[in-house]
Amino acid sequence: MKPILLFFVSILLGSGLAMAAPSAEEILAASDAIRNPGRSFSVTVTLTEFQAGKQVDTSTLTSYSRTQQQGGQFASLLRFVLPTRDAGKLMLKNGNDMWFYDPTNKASVRLSPQQRLLGQASNGDVATVNFAKDYKVALAGEEDVQDGERKTRKAHKLALTAATPDVTYASIEMWVDAENNRPIKARFFAESSRLLKTVYYRRYQPQLGAERPTESVIIDGLNPQSVTLMRFTDYAARTIPDTWLQRDYLPRFQPE
Amino acid sequence: MRRLSHRILGSMFALAFAQALPALAAGADTDADALNLESAPATGKATPAGARDTRIFVEGALGNASQRYQLNSRDIWRASFDISHTARLGTGLRAVFSDRLDQIHPRDPGLDETVNSLREAYLSWQPDGGNTVVEFGRINLRYGPGYGYNPTDFFRDGSLRALTTADPFALRENRMGSVMLRAQRLWANGSLSVAYSPKLANRPDTDGWSLDLGSTNNRDRGLIALGTQFSQSVSSQLLVYKEAGLSPALGANLTALLSDAAVGHLEWSRGNEPNLLSRTFALAGSNATRNRFVGGATYTTLGKLSLTAEYQYNGFALNQSGWAALGASPIAQAQVAYLRESLRLQDIAPRQAYLIYVTQKGLGLKNLDLTAYLRINAEDQSRLAWIELRHHWTSFDLTFQLQQHMGRPATEFGILPDRRIMQILGTYYF
Repeated sequence: MKPILLFFVSILLGSGLAMAAPSAEEILAASDAIRNPGRSFSVTVTLTEFQAGKQVDTSTLTSYSRTQQQGGQFASLLRFVLPTRDAGKLMLKNGNDMWFYDPTNKASVRLSPQQRLLGQASNGDVATVNFAKDYKVALAGEEDVQDGERKTRKAHKLALTAATPDVTYASIEMWVDAENNRPIKARFFAESSRLLKTVYYRRYQPQLGAERPTESVIIDGLNPQSVTLMRFTDYAARTIPDTWLQRDYLPRFQPE
Repeated sequence: MRRLSHRILGSMFALAFAQALPALAAGADTDADALNLESAPATGKATPAGARDTRIFVEGALGNASQRYQLNSRDIWRASFDISHTARLGTGLRAVFSDRLDQIHPRDPGLDETVNSLREAYLSWQPDGGNTVVEFGRINLRYGPGYGYNPTDFFRDGSLRALTTADPFALRENRMGSVMLRAQRLWANGSLSVAYSPKLANRPDTDGWSLDLGSTNNRDRGLIALGTQFSQSVSSQLLVYKEAGLSPALGANLTALLSDAAVGHLEWSRGNEPNLLSRTFALAGSNATRNRFVGGATYTTLGKLSLTAEYQYNGFALNQSGWAALGASPIAQAQVAYLRESLRLQDIAPRQAYLIYVTQKGLGLKNLDLTAYLRINAEDQSRLAWIELRHHWTSFDLTFQLQQHMGRPATEFGILPDRRIMQILGTYYF
């Protein structure tokens, strides 16, 4: 009797443990939910660029984001605020429908993904994107890793590979805090396996109902001396209608 | 000898290794160094809505134009003041004002040296969360994805008072809107716009401070535009345009994502109207139905180079034999008059033309941008080349521009009196 009882207890415990251990998909989805509010929102983004430790540029933009009706990925409208030369210019990204609008000459120009990647807006992709929607994910182990505040954290290491051909990065390595699913660090790779960016997510603060990273440190993979800090402030829940996220609305866009 | 060579080689390896060590250490410390960096303080200028409602800049230009048919060159200079302001009058209601003042030397023929262009002054009402827009006033309504020519931009004629640049993109920054009542309804992946622009004056006004309604509102005009996004990669606009005394004209434009790095654009319009020659010399009874067309593609490299190639066609313009016949006509400066009219109408003067447009961001220096284009008259092979180097600082741009006209004497660009124009510009943004 005892061996049978032990057998059932071990199965129950085993299955219980298996249920308790989250899958790689669940970890990634939880990590996405920490980086991005689950509803439409706006946030002010301050980008500070450094070369060899020296500040060389700064710019400010406001991002208006909502999840697409199909696919669940984020669509966003970026409005440039500073420098004054660029004030009022808009960049729309709704999947592969990407536009740049300049109010001074009223020109709406369709952008290719590569064209968009050249500007600072591409850095927004590492901040506001639901990776779980576009990538297959596998657990690549447990590691101790230094976070953005230089503290050592026990982390799940996730290996992401593109599930659709039209995503910006072919693969991503991501470290997620084993304790609370906070994203700690990610490395973004091109199809050639070339490292494009290393990103640290840091300065966690309560924003729109959860502790979210309010700063990303983005280190250029080709030139590690080139670093961009993205600071997120003024998170606000907003109603962003579907109709805003198209070319014909750009000349009208005037957020209250 | 062998021992010596070994010793030298050994020393070289040791030196190389010693030099490599700091580099390796630096590589390992890169992340740590980056994590020590601090963001710039969030600026107080950025409102929570992320909007700045006033935009002002001043610009000065100083240059020289070498003459094709004279030995001496001529000095050119310009000072410009540019302001745009949006006032929020209530929920969904705003007033928009946009104006530009240019002091141009030497002045354009028939214009004052000081030229004010009231580009926009209108009220905009968005009562339905932005899905419906009603606007009234002088509105700069622009259509068409073409880079150098926009057949579906039906409100383009007479919109430029002062020509301060040859860059087709920058040229649109100076253009005046037409007084109109306009409404637009948006839905997911589409929109419908209706605009009515009444006749308010008979002819253009050369007074520098005039509103110049005679250039933008010299006949009754109406436009209906239907925008459709077929997919994330393809979108289009269909347009029907009608002006007093002419049959309705049709227009369509389309943009498409061709690959990860390439975008294509097409523009077409068809109408029954006087040709360009008849418009130039006010010849009566010469209406014909013709097409205008633009097709092009833009390719962007990973090295931040964007290259656009565009084919342009204007069925209302002269072909090579017509152009030659115009040159042989007894009317003095007939070809120059024809070119002036094409410029006023923002039409292309030849039947066919090509445009190559290049931008390179970060040319050697992070904040140095190159913009260049080559416009080729496919009928007479004359060419206009334009190059701009622009360096950005936080609030200031320093720019060098070079414009070269190339071609035989009786060609579109060979007939122009200026052979080469060089100028330095300084722009300060407040």
